[in-house]
Amino acid sequence: MTSIRKPMTKLEKHHLRDGLLFTLPGIIGLLGFTIYPVFASLYYSFCNYSVLKAPQWVGLANYSVLAHDEQLRVAVKNTVIFAAMSIPLGIAAAFLLATLLNQKVRGMAFFRTIFYLPSVVPAVAGAVLWLWILNPQYGLLNTALAAVGIAGPGWLSDPAWSKAALSLMSVWGVGGWMVIFLAGLQDVPVELQEAARLDGAGAVAAYRHVTLPFMSPHLLFASVMGVIGVSSFFAQPMVMTNGGPADSTLFFAQYLFQNAFQFFKMGYACALAWALAVVLIFITVLLFRGSARFVYYGGD
Amino acid sequence: MQSLTTLRIGEAQPLDVALRVPCYHFGVPRSQAALRLIFFCCFSLLLGGCRSRDEVTSGGPTEITVWHPWGQDNAKGLAKIVARYNAMQQKTRVRLVFTPTDLSTNQKFFTAVAAGKPPDVSFVDGTQVAQWAEWNALEPLDEFIQRDKVRPDDFYAPCWKQSLYKNHVWAMTYCADPNFAFCWNKSEFRRAGLNPEKPPRTIEELDRIAKALTVDKGGRLDKLGIIPWSQYGAANSTFTWGWAFGGQFYDEKTQTITANDPKIVKAVEWMVSHAKRLGITRVNASASGWGTGVSDPFSTGNLGMKCVHISTLHDLTKYAPNLDYGIAPLPGTPDGEIGSSWVGGWLLCLPRGSRHPQEGWDFIRWMCATPEGTKAIADEMGLLPGFRRSPAIAKVKRDPKLKMFVKILEESKHQRPVMPVQAYFMGALDRAIDRAVYGKQTPQQAMDQATAETQRELDLILGKKPK
Repeated sequence: MTSIRKPMTKLEKHHLRDGLLFTLPGIIGLLGFTIYPVFASLYYSFCNYSVLKAPQWVGLANYSVLAHDEQLRVAVKNTVIFAAMSIPLGIAAAFLLATLLNQKVRGMAFFRTIFYLPSVVPAVAGAVLWLWILNPQYGLLNTALAAVGIAGPGWLSDPAWSKAALSLMSVWGVGGWMVIFLAGLQDVPVELQEAARLDGAGAVAAYRHVTLPFMSPHLLFASVMGVIGVSSFFAQPMVMTNGGPADSTLFFAQYLFQNAFQFFKMGYACALAWALAVVLIFITVLLFRGSARFVYYGGD
Repeated sequence: MQSLTTLRIGEAQPLDVALRVPCYHFGVPRSQAALRLIFFCCFSLLLGGCRSRDEVTSGGPTEITVWHPWGQDNAKGLAKIVARYNAMQQKTRVRLVFTPTDLSTNQKFFTAVAAGKPPDVSFVDGTQVAQWAEWNALEPLDEFIQRDKVRPDDFYAPCWKQSLYKNHVWAMTYCADPNFAFCWNKSEFRRAGLNPEKPPRTIEELDRIAKALTVDKGGRLDKLGIIPWSQYGAANSTFTWGWAFGGQFYDEKTQTITANDPKIVKAVEWMVSHAKRLGITRVNASASGWGTGVSDPFSTGNLGMKCVHISTLHDLTKYAPNLDYGIAPLPGTPDGEIGSSWVGGWLLCLPRGSRHPQEGWDFIRWMCATPEGTKAIADEMGLLPGFRRSPAIAKVKRDPKLKMFVKILEESKHQRPVMPVQAYFMGALDRAIDRAVYGKQTPQQAMDQATAETQRELDLILGKKPK
C-alpha cells in the first residue's frame, strides 16, 4: 500500500522550520561533538597522529601493528577474564537482590534505597573507598576474614587476586541492574504464577518456568550492557591499580587511554577504538542471535 | 488573545497557540521571535568562547599565565616565590594555574598548544623536554639566551645537557634533582647488631645488611632492609641501580636504546633476587600499611635503608626530628660505579604560541638563572637550583647533611637519556620491572622487551625504518 504524500501546508512548513530551529542547538552539538569526532577518529585511525603535528596518512599500518601488539593481547585477555568473572557475578547478585526486594515486607522502600545507594556514589569515590576495604593489612575485608580464621590474600597487590578483587567491587554497584530486574519482576503476570501454582508447580518450578522466561529480555539486556560496560571499564582500575600489579589489571580501555593520552599515539588509539567497536557490534549481534531461542518478549 | 476565544470545545488545542500569545505581546511574529532568541543564544555562546584575555590588559602590567603541576607545600612555596617576583617589578604579573603536566598527564597542555591557546610559561619534567621539542610544542630559547648572555657553564653540566636537544635550548632548569643520597637508620643497625657508622659500600654489603635488618613475624614482614625497585618508582630505580652496576641505557651516536646491557640486566637480576627472597606479595602486604610523613616507613624503622631525594631529607627533619640516621654515597658493584648518582630535575619552558614570549622568558630567567630567583626557590621550596652562582648552593654546602647533594651536582656523570621517547622509556621500564619482580618474565626477557618496545617508538618518531 502506498500512501500519497500531501504537499505541506504553510502552517506545517512553519512548524517544521520552527521545530528545526528549536532543535538546532542540539543538532549542532550532535554534529560537532558526536558525529564529527566519530568520523574524524575513523580517519585518524589510518594516520600517525600525535595531536601536535599534522596527521600523516599511513594506510593500514596501525591495524597491522594492532594485530601483533603483545601488550594489547594482555589487555584483551585481562578484559575477557574480567568480563567472565564480573558479568555473571553482577547479574546473579542483582537478580538475587531484585528477587528479595520484590517480596512484600515492611519498609521495602528503605531497603531498595539502601541497595541502590552505591550506584550513585561517584566511581572514583567508590574506588578510593574500596582501596581501603581491600587493603591487605588494615582493610575491612581481610579483618573480617581473619575473624573467621582465614588469612586474606593481598587482593590488589597480588596479580593472582587483583581481577577477582575488582569483580568483587563491581558487585557493589549493581544497583542499576537491580532496578531493571525489579521492574521486570513486577511485570511478571500474577495470574500466570497463580495458574502454575494451581497446576501443582512448586515455588522453584514456578520461578523456573514462569518468572525466568518473563525476565529473559532483561537478562539479555543486562548481558549486552555488561559486555559494553566491561569494555569501557576505566575509572576504577585507573585510580586503584593503574594497570598493575604486573599488568594484571591492564584492561582494554586503560590501554587505549595510555596510547591516546600518555604516549600520544592518537592514530593507534583511534584504530584500537574502531577495532573495539567492530568487536562489540559482533558480540552484540551474536548475543541477540544466539539468545533468540531463550528470550521471550511476551505476547503469543 | 483572539485565537484562544475562537477555539471550539472538543478541538485539540495546538501547542503553538500557547507560544503565540506571549510573542504577540512583543509585537513580533512568533517565528521571528524564536529565530531571534536562538540567534541571541548562539551568538552569546560564541562571544563567550572567543573572548580573548589579551585585550583586557592595556596600560597596566602584562599578565602572564604559568602552568604548574605542584600541590600542597610545593604549591604554597611557589606562590610565595611568584609573589616575590610580582612585588619586585611592575612590568609583568605572573598568574599561576595548577595543571598537572607530569609524565602521565600532559594531555591538557598538548591540547592547549594544538588549539593555539597555550599558557605563556609551563613547567616541564626533564625527561620530557626532548619529546615536547620534537613534537613542536616548545619555542626555542636560543635568541633570548644569547641576548641576555646566559652561558652553558652558568649551569651544572647535566642540567644544561637536559635542556639541549638538536642543538637548541628548549627550557631552563629551575630545580636540579641530585639523585640520590643513601640513607640508613642507625638505631636499626644497632638493633640488628651492625656497626651504625658503617654504611654499605658495595652491593654485596648492602645484601648482607638488608638480610640482617629483615624481621619476619610469623610470616609477616615486620621490618625490611631495602626495597630495591621502589626508589622513586621502578624506572628511576632501574636507572639508579643500572648505573651503579656500570650499565649504559642509551647510545646517543647511533640513537640506540641499550636497556638490555648485560650490566643493567645484572642490576635487574639483583633487584629481582630481593623480591624472590622476601616474597613479592609479602613485601606488598607490608608496604600497604605504610604511610607518608610521620608514618613514613624509614622514620618508623620499618624500612632500614633507602635512596633519598633532597626533599625527603626536609621531610625527615620536619616529621622525624629525632631520627638517628646517616647519609652516604650510593653503594655499587666493584666493576660498576661505587657512589654513582644522576641528576634529574624540572625545567621551565615557553610553549609554542606563547603570547608573551619576552615577559615569559624574563620570568624564566629570573627563576632559573639569577641569584635572587634561585635563592627564592631554595628558601620557599627547599629545592636546589641548577644555577652554579646561586647563593643557595653556597648555603647548602655548609649544611653537614645536605652538602652531599651539591657534591652530586658537581660530580655526577649521568642524566636520563635526552631523547624524544624518554617518557615512553620510563613507562616501558616500569612495566618491565613489574613483570620481572612478579616473576612473569626473566630479567633478560623483561629488559629485552622494554628495549625493543622503546626502540620501535624512537624509530617511529625519528622516521627510521624499524630494525
